[in-house]
Amino acid sequence: MDVSLVEDGEEARFSGMQIALSLGACCYKEILSHCNKGRSMSNIAGKAYAMNVITPVRGYMTWINKLIFWVALKKPSTLKGLITLSLIHYARWVIIGRKQFPHLAEDQPKEDLHYAYMLFFSNFNGSWAQYVDSFTFAIPAGLDLFWKWNIRYPKSVPLTSFHSYIQFNQIQTDHYYNAYPMASANDVKSAKALKAALIDFDARHGDAPPDEFLKQYNGLLRSLQHDLGTMQPLPIVSLAAQARGD
Amino acid sequence: MANTSGNAYALTCLSPIRKGCIEDGSGVGTGTAYSDDVRHRLQTWGLLEHSPMAKVPQTYLCRYFVLDDVYYQSLSGPDFFSTMYDILSFFSDRFREMALPREDHLKSKYLVFSCNLHGDVDAYLRGMWHAIEEDIRRIWGYCYGFEQVRDADSFAAYVRKCQLKASLFFVGSNDDPLPEQLKALYLKQEFSRFAVEHQGLPATELQQAYRAFMQRVQPLNLAGPSWQPGQSTP
Amino acid sequence: MTKQLDLPDIQGNVVRAYGRFNFPFARYVFFNIRDGRRGRAFVGAVTEQVTTAQRWGLGPDEIPKPPSTVNVAFTYPGMKALELPRASLVGFPMEFIMGMKKRKDILGDDLQSAPERWDPVWRDSREHDRHKDVHMWISINGQSKADVEQRYEWLQQLVAHSAGGVAILSGHRGDDGAEHLPFQDLHVVFENGKPTPKEHFGYTDGIGDPVFEGLPGNPERVTGRGKQMKDGSWAPLATGEFLLGHRDEADEYPIAPSPQLLSRNGTFMVYRKLHENVGTFNAFLDRASRNYPGGKELLAAKFVGRWRDNGAPLVSAPDAASKAAWDEKFAQADRRERDRMLSGFTYDNDMQGAKCPFSAHLRRINPRAALEFTPDAFNTPGALTNRRRLIRRGLPYGEVKDPTRDDGNHGIVIMMLNASILRQFEFVQQQWINYGNDFKAANDKEIILGNHNDQYPSKAVIQSDPDGDGAPYFLANIPRMVETRGGDYFFIPSMTALRMIAKGIVDPT
Repeated sequence: MDVSLVEDGEEARFSGMQIALSLGACCYKEILSHCNKGRSMSNIAGKAYAMNVITPVRGYMTWINKLIFWVALKKPSTLKGLITLSLIHYARWVIIGRKQFPHLAEDQPKEDLHYAYMLFFSNFNGSWAQYVDSFTFAIPAGLDLFWKWNIRYPKSVPLTSFHSYIQFNQIQTDHYYNAYPMASANDVKSAKALKAALIDFDARHGDAPPDEFLKQYNGLLRSLQHDLGTMQPLPIVSLAAQARGD
Repeated sequence: MANTSGNAYALTCLSPIRKGCIEDGSGVGTGTAYSDDVRHRLQTWGLLEHSPMAKVPQTYLCRYFVLDDVYYQSLSGPDFFSTMYDILSFFSDRFREMALPREDHLKSKYLVFSCNLHGDVDAYLRGMWHAIEEDIRRIWGYCYGFEQVRDADSFAAYVRKCQLKASLFFVGSNDDPLPEQLKALYLKQEFSRFAVEHQGLPATELQQAYRAFMQRVQPLNLAGPSWQPGQSTP
Repeated sequence: MTKQLDLPDIQGNVVRAYGRFNFPFARYVFFNIRDGRRGRAFVGAVTEQVTTAQRWGLGPDEIPKPPSTVNVAFTYPGMKALELPRASLVGFPMEFIMGMKKRKDILGDDLQSAPERWDPVWRDSREHDRHKDVHMWISINGQSKADVEQRYEWLQQLVAHSAGGVAILSGHRGDDGAEHLPFQDLHVVFENGKPTPKEHFGYTDGIGDPVFEGLPGNPERVTGRGKQMKDGSWAPLATGEFLLGHRDEADEYPIAPSPQLLSRNGTFMVYRKLHENVGTFNAFLDRASRNYPGGKELLAAKFVGRWRDNGAPLVSAPDAASKAAWDEKFAQADRRERDRMLSGFTYDNDMQGAKCPFSAHLRRINPRAALEFTPDAFNTPGALTNRRRLIRRGLPYGEVKDPTRDDGNHGIVIMMLNASILRQFEFVQQQWINYGNDFKAANDKEIILGNHNDQYPSKAVIQSDPDGDGAPYFLANIPRMVETRGGDYFFIPSMTALRMIAKGIVDPT
């Protein structure tokens, strides 16, 4: 990065960088090109961030990985950590064997690879750095369990090499769609609970005499007191969009 | 079945893109590669509620990208056999070289479509065709084998041929049908506002206001007022 | 293993909040460096008087407590003006290089907090006129006003001696509409002529302060101030969360410029002048507490997480009755016990927020182990908090003459010290103060500091006891109570680095 750019006040270049860093996104060049096009960052749709990572694994490790995933799902501690973090909408790991890249036509060349590949797709809330860091700190063992067999995976602690590993292997999304950009995973979960509770309340107490109604209504509010956050566009991205106009 | 978690389904589709260029019409210089054109088309799709995927029922979150190639792992990191190679390297440098990561390249670019959806995947794909056939053709048109896609059924079959199985699918939120999720979000927003605005009212008035509220928001009616797919402003 | 820090190499304000050591007055002076060589000579002269972290007292390894303290810090343009080599300069973190003003969108400094409204000294810094850039901050803390004035005169002499090499920047707002003062004056809030630890909304401030390895002081202070461990004990945080050149909580050295001698034992400071809308606050508290069952003072406590009068934490004293009991115990307690009562609490028995609300100031800026919503889910209970801690320094400024008005000269200058501005201060500001998802509160902001606006009116939930029969209480249309009036990002060098900068011998090759 050329330091003199700061002094020359090239705002447009910097707002891209600023967005990139606040979100910890991977490639400065790509972010810049997005900003120049006047589009928002393609890895983001409302409150969700799309992370795509592709990494090589030794071919014969693929079946071990599948076993590990199976075990991990059964292991309550990993799952408990993941669920408590509650940053993820949906995430998946896909392993493509050396000869498993889809082959659809005679004239399509067959792939000839040394390694199998692991694809990781995540839809999460918060910044890139927050997401990556929260795994390192909350469930470092679990994290290592998933990535361990990848070629040159550096372990999740210390942090900087892990950050580099993910960034290095991350692929920019070209189109990202989110059916509820204003809702984080927490919001979707709490909405479900609220809907059920409201319908149940209505059935049981909606027509109760007023004093009883009030008492039950207060009880409803108490039970929902962590589900009443107001949802709005994500402030960071919306403010960043304004910044690009400077 | 690793692609499912309850009623949520993880569809991972890699469609190989033909090698070739679109002529730029002027006959001068090279045209745009098919894969780059696919990327360009994806990048010019509308966003949020304007995304074509907003028209596809039961789509939770999905993404598209063009996979150009795999990366060579030049960053340093531990390797399972590194100690063994280190020792063997005493005897021949060949072992040191063997310990270095191999270089791989993909022979084709791939259109990657990773989708989190609700319900049966074949029904989903047919629904997708009915909703956005034109957009599908524009994005998949350059892919090997796509010339055989004529209708919803053949599109679904085609995607199935491109499909990869998930080793692990983690659902952090839930697996309800999309209209349920949207309705629930709508209710959460409206009820929060109701609770704040009607704080401290005496019981009778509160109950009256509540009844009017419930009539307006219609919690059990999925077709009633709700959030729209991709809705980005309150 | 107890770690020893090089106290004589660290600037004193990093380990000490002078306000708590009987330095109730301060003056912050900001400089523009006009000439590299003479600027460095000026820095050298100042450095001879800089207060270090060495203990005060009469014992060995101790120095007498000075009547006034002096500390120094630089912005990125300041270090450029001092002609540090470019290879060192590029090693500074991006957000520090950009400065606080350019980061306004991330920080939520919009509308009333926007840079256009800042004090002229900040508004005009890093714009078009390089002679108006804030390059250097020199702080004077004094035991009396006279001590401050004496030190300031010394400083002025050094400026004169630099023959135009440095210039004091004017443009600070003060009393009675003054707009062009040459310094920012600060002092504790006095009540009946006696210094108090209060700020202008009436809250007792300056209690929390992280404890890290090597920090001098009573080791018992780690309770409530360090990191919470699985077995319920407390441990000091890793030094590298607050000082460069030391291992941090991620088991590595924080990102720092080269050479090592430039960064080791230094840290980054976020300086923010925050105007307090006293009239708005009082009116809002009155309005919101009218129908609040617990009454006005309890509601005021709910905004912050501590009772206004003496800082009693709500988790220990959640209502009037328990507060009375707490007060009695506090009155009898000795200094150590008082400290423990004020800081040594957890949210473990308040996971529903019925005592301290999820949007209260205290809970948002330091959630302790409260983000581990399922017990034992994480590697350590403070996994999501330990790397978001901030050392807070600073003092209030001005005086409230009319508590029904906003336009007086009153607020606080807060300085936050951390090894990574991006990961610590900016994260807390962006994710925990101006947003609420980590607290299951969607977009609901922190009550006191949030950048509330009219476009998307703010609300907050004051949680109630799930087993009681009350209802959660809602705050609606929360007004913006605090406005940013200026500031920037600074680097606080170690004594070694200061001397090298002054001699012009920083060399990263």
